[in-house]
Amino acid sequence: MPIDRGTVQKIAALARLRVDPAEEERYVRELQAILSYVEQLQSLDVSKIEPTSTVIAGAPPPLRPDEERPSDVRDEVLAQAPDRDGDYFRVPRVV
Amino acid sequence: METAREGYEPVIGLEVHAQLKTRTKIFCGCSTRFGAPPNTQVCPLCLGLPGVLPTLNARAVDFAAMVGLAVGAQVAGRSVFARKNYFYPDLPKGYQITQYDRPLCVGGSLTIRSGAGWKTVRLVRIHLEEDAGKSLHPEGREGVETTRVDLNRAGVPLIEIVSEPDLRSGAEATDYMARLRQLLVYLDVCDGNMEEGSLRCDANVSVRKKGASQLGTKTEIKNLNSFRFVDRAIAFEIDRQIGLLESGGRVAQETLLWSSERGVAETMRSKEEAHDYRYFPEPDLLPLDLSREWIESVRERIPELPHQLRERLVREQKIPEYDAEVLTDTRSLAGYYEEVAARSGQPKLASNWIMTEVNAVRNKSGLTIEEFPIRADRLGDMVRMVGEGKISGKIAKQLFELMLQDPASPAELIERHGLLPIDDEAALRALAKEIIAAHPGPAADFRAGKEKTFAFLVGQAMKQSRGRAHPEKLQQALRAVLAEER
Amino acid sequence: MSGTTVQESAESLGRSVGSGERSAVDVARSFLAQASRSATRLGTYLYRDEESILAAAAEIDARRKRGEALGALAGVPVAIKDNICVRGVPVTCGSRILERFRAPYDAHVIGRLRTADAILYGKTNCDEFAMGSSTENSAYQPSRNPWDLSRVPGGSSGGSAATVAAREAPLSLGSDTGGSVRQPAAFCGVVGLKPTYGAVSRYGLVAFASSLDQIGPLATSARDAALLFNAISGPDERDMTSRPETRPISLENLERGVRGLKIGIARELLGDGLDPEIRACFETVSKWLVAEGASVVDVALPHARYAIATYYLIAPAEASSNLARYDGVRYGLRVPAGDLREMYEATRGRGFGREVKRRILLGTYALSAGYYDAYYLRAQKVRTLIRRDFEEASRKTDALLMPVTPTPPFALGEKSEDPMAMYLNDIYSIPASLAGVPALSFPAGFTKGGLPIGLQLTGKPFDEETLLRIARAWEQKSDAARRLPPIAMEKAA
Repeated sequence: MPIDRGTVQKIAALARLRVDPAEEERYVRELQAILSYVEQLQSLDVSKIEPTSTVIAGAPPPLRPDEERPSDVRDEVLAQAPDRDGDYFRVPRVV
Repeated sequence: METAREGYEPVIGLEVHAQLKTRTKIFCGCSTRFGAPPNTQVCPLCLGLPGVLPTLNARAVDFAAMVGLAVGAQVAGRSVFARKNYFYPDLPKGYQITQYDRPLCVGGSLTIRSGAGWKTVRLVRIHLEEDAGKSLHPEGREGVETTRVDLNRAGVPLIEIVSEPDLRSGAEATDYMARLRQLLVYLDVCDGNMEEGSLRCDANVSVRKKGASQLGTKTEIKNLNSFRFVDRAIAFEIDRQIGLLESGGRVAQETLLWSSERGVAETMRSKEEAHDYRYFPEPDLLPLDLSREWIESVRERIPELPHQLRERLVREQKIPEYDAEVLTDTRSLAGYYEEVAARSGQPKLASNWIMTEVNAVRNKSGLTIEEFPIRADRLGDMVRMVGEGKISGKIAKQLFELMLQDPASPAELIERHGLLPIDDEAALRALAKEIIAAHPGPAADFRAGKEKTFAFLVGQAMKQSRGRAHPEKLQQALRAVLAEER
Repeated sequence: MSGTTVQESAESLGRSVGSGERSAVDVARSFLAQASRSATRLGTYLYRDEESILAAAAEIDARRKRGEALGALAGVPVAIKDNICVRGVPVTCGSRILERFRAPYDAHVIGRLRTADAILYGKTNCDEFAMGSSTENSAYQPSRNPWDLSRVPGGSSGGSAATVAAREAPLSLGSDTGGSVRQPAAFCGVVGLKPTYGAVSRYGLVAFASSLDQIGPLATSARDAALLFNAISGPDERDMTSRPETRPISLENLERGVRGLKIGIARELLGDGLDPEIRACFETVSKWLVAEGASVVDVALPHARYAIATYYLIAPAEASSNLARYDGVRYGLRVPAGDLREMYEATRGRGFGREVKRRILLGTYALSAGYYDAYYLRAQKVRTLIRRDFEEASRKTDALLMPVTPTPPFALGEKSEDPMAMYLNDIYSIPASLAGVPALSFPAGFTKGGLPIGLQLTGKPFDEETLLRIARAWEQKSDAARRLPPIAMEKAA
């Protein structure tokens, strides 16, 4: 499954990452190299293997009780916000 | 259009998001209370700060499982949370924690009205997920538009209930919504408040020629948050699709937003290509394992469901199905009815009074049955009197009005306001004697043959008794006394 | 006195501050003086506020004078990797996207350190968002190996390892996802532990790869590493992946020696790419184990060769999702733009460095529609095979001995141009990360050129103790742990 500039552009768009056209070629090369390397996994027969869902097995932890735990971070966070409108975070328009 | 429509069959499925009535959010301990000032019910977690981790709310799981059991779904012994990745300002982590290919509940069904009868709507699944915050799009100054973000709602627990496309009309869809809402309120897992966004609905609509087995292309109409919108949006879309097909066009698979002001469903501008959400299992949460014992313990706590209550009332109180339907609108109303029926010994009469008079007042004033000023015992006493013939329907209505304002018992109110007619012979004779004694002239005139003066004497007697004298019996008594005394 | 103070163990420092024998302020001053001589050249710190460090030390002294009992790490400075949240203090993760962000809350481990009365001693430099093996990916500055300033200290916890090696602080915390505590520990000649997955709460650790990340201690001795581990480990209700099976290490048991232990060696891991001096060191340690009464057996880790490929699909995939929150909306860098989409792209385009971008692209691809099964899902299945290999191997052994790095510390700039070459450094450290088992890097020897060589022990889940016990025994035999890098011995002018 080869990667080309079009693919890089598409993935970058999905990830909301600006990639300079000058850099695109470089990413194509690097990602190609990595994907070629990981291709070796295709040679394994994993048809009867479950994917890892829990790294270390054991009894599951108890779930959280439904009790309020108020937090005091909101002022500190709003104070650091890149842009705010009173108590709201503010962002440029959603197209 | 009529004949064209008849050749088509609409096919509708609904996805309903219901906010669970937990005290705290699904993955953090922030309050879920509605209407707080912006960004006051937030913490590092639901703000999506670096380094935070979700912790699953036990009650959210409890509620979701209860809904699943109540609709006859299979509650999975193991279900898995997944990340749904996309970018939006009200999605703080850049992903929503939801359930993807291993949801909490699978299957189940809901019975709804279809025409004069009933019909079963199958459910696909029910799963848990977190709500996003709110993006508000006000107009900015200087022509620069901005969006404001309030994360109070980010992380509120939701269940998503997905139905099979078994619905065939806007009316069926509305009934489905109403009954689903009723069930959730009965289970006390959701407050059912659509204006506050506790219950939201997306509709998947397609049409096909009657008798066809293949499904047509479906469109999705998002965020229908009132019953009226559900009905109208679906009707609009059905018409639009039929119109398209009839004129040789094709229905495009797209997502539409219902505009209630314009009465149309429009393509959502913000959606370009289909989203690739890159679902993968949430690594910060373990798979959710629920034992058979735990699931059974939830089942034991399920209260009487609406249809069970309905059937029981029909059986026990011998009232019609229609009545039972109205009276079981909420569990508290049904409880109220049962108390009134028991107290009065008049199940059908109690039903009538509640369905008409009580509900009329409640509808006009927006009161819940808990807020309604006439408690079940007082109404029960009143209905008993009506049933036993002690007061007429007309007097009962007056009494009802008084009882709305005055917490005194019916008997006391009757006494105080003189509502009971005087029909005791002795009392009427005494009254007649009083009137005749007070008006000797007209009495003599009557005895002399002037019939007209009788009406005057009756009028005086009614006035004297403040209208309480039983009209016929009063006249009988007057005539009798006039005849006796010469 | 500062010369000897900085060479003392954390254990001894904590005890003497706790007993009142010496003041926390004196301890802090000694280390601060030491740091002032080398930190700039080594590039170890991104943030270090002397005033607040001394104030905290003074507070400890005051409390002791009031008769309060102090915690096990009383007055002991602990440097913190800059991807761990300390309230009110910057947490940049070595990235421009968090350049001016101050954490509004403490990580779980920080709360525990406060309880132990440790001194929170600055934020150390690291590869951006913990992605890298040399700390060259920090957006701010490189860090340097105290043994040879032209070489890398390793990564991603390069600052944490270098600062302890240079005795600027007796203890530090790093984070390990694919080797980021163990590899820099080996390069810098110190002890570095990656705990069992779940043994230390991740609450407050800025996530890189959620199913792999663990916070780990770095120290100059096995006992000190154990002390720090005990101070921070144990379940936390705020981290649902933290495990109740975690038990504190008994320092007494660390003195028991290696007699009777069964050590496994996987020949698959001693292939061609291994530097001959490291191989020689490995053989020396194996022979020593046998001489001391341990038995050395062969084990098979047949799927270990797929570990890098597996890791470089799983970790970037999880990272691509974990890093989505850095979008300029609520905190951190925002590059202004006309619309939201542009704002996202410009912010993340400018705020993230090349390695981070590369991994986000790779991870996004591995999860994308049509590729999920072939990449991410398949990698998680191969991970199961690797985990099973370790489970099987641990049935007949108490620990496995293997290298940590294929080479001694390399030069700055040597590998930074070729990502794959950099990734291949992790060949020995990644398998234990995928398996979730505890893994320890300990100073084993030196190259002829005087560069540190570290070796690795992996063990059964929650048995960090056995690993540290073996390392402790080796410490008493070898002087590797007692040598100091020259920069640490420079006297004040």
